[in-house]
Amino acid sequence: MLLPYLAIVLLAVVTIYSAVGSFRQKPDGEPAAPGWVFPDGTKRSARIFVGVATLLLAIGLGAWFKINGSSVNPNSLPRSWRFMIPEGYRGWVRVEFEIPGAPPLPAEAGQIVLKIPPTGLLRTSSPEQYGWAKDDYVFYASGGLQPIPDSGAGKLIWGKINHTVESGSSGKRRYEEFFVGTQQQFKDQAEPSKPNDAPKDSHVPAAIP
Amino acid sequence: MLPFSLYFVTAVVTGFHLYALLSVVVYGVPLNPLELVSWLGSFALLVAAYVSLFRPRAAARVALIACLAMWCFYAPALANFVRAKLDKSPAVSEGMGPRRGTARATPRPSESACL
Repeated sequence: MLLPYLAIVLLAVVTIYSAVGSFRQKPDGEPAAPGWVFPDGTKRSARIFVGVATLLLAIGLGAWFKINGSSVNPNSLPRSWRFMIPEGYRGWVRVEFEIPGAPPLPAEAGQIVLKIPPTGLLRTSSPEQYGWAKDDYVFYASGGLQPIPDSGAGKLIWGKINHTVESGSSGKRRYEEFFVGTQQQFKDQAEPSKPNDAPKDSHVPAAIP
Repeated sequence: MLPFSLYFVTAVVTGFHLYALLSVVVYGVPLNPLELVSWLGSFALLVAAYVSLFRPRAAARVALIACLAMWCFYAPALANFVRAKLDKSPAVSEGMGPRRGTARATPRPSESACL
């Protein structure tokens, strides 16, 4: 990833440039004469150009956000998800996206509903959603729905992570995982397990027995 | 135009980089205050870029303060990176963005069951 290195190099250059520009002066104390490296100002035409370019940039960004953030587009999917997990389930949940032949995710009341089966693995043909959103987690049972705390002292959702893995024949595979359980259960499952316990099928999520 | 270009490009590059770092907060990663200070430095550098069109010397001072604010985060990060390289041990965090494309190293049992 080039961006961090570029940021540091540019930052070092600007630090030196601004330090020299701030304190440079002739030996007699007079301000140093302006040059092309340290100009005394900018031409009026350049200021107008920068002003117009900034205005166009602001309009373009505003339009882009308006188009992308528009909720009137009927084809746009809601970003907020509702994870419905079987009551009493403890362990890893995995959702695999863009699986050919798998059912798409339904949307209800402005949320995409992900009903996790008792195996903990849900495959769908729907794409993964990116962006800022607040997801809900609920336990489902015959008696109805029960919210699952995903923050605070009694949270039961841990280690949420997105994967994009290159697989030889089928291209990229995208999936999302998180752990359902107490903090202690989450820590316990992270302990190194016996070699014989290693999963042979990496597609199968794990649950605490 | 040189000061403007230099300040503007640096502000955009560092601002975008820090935004990427701050965005992992949505995954539950604790917020690093130094990243926030550094991000404010990027914004100050952007202001300095426009000030430099009219008052280059004042802009240089604003830019210098902004850069010092940004070094609050980048200097320790750079030191940790260099130390990790010299120790020949893997860096704690190689990717500087949301945790995309990473693989979990945690082994898990193969059976699925519910409590």
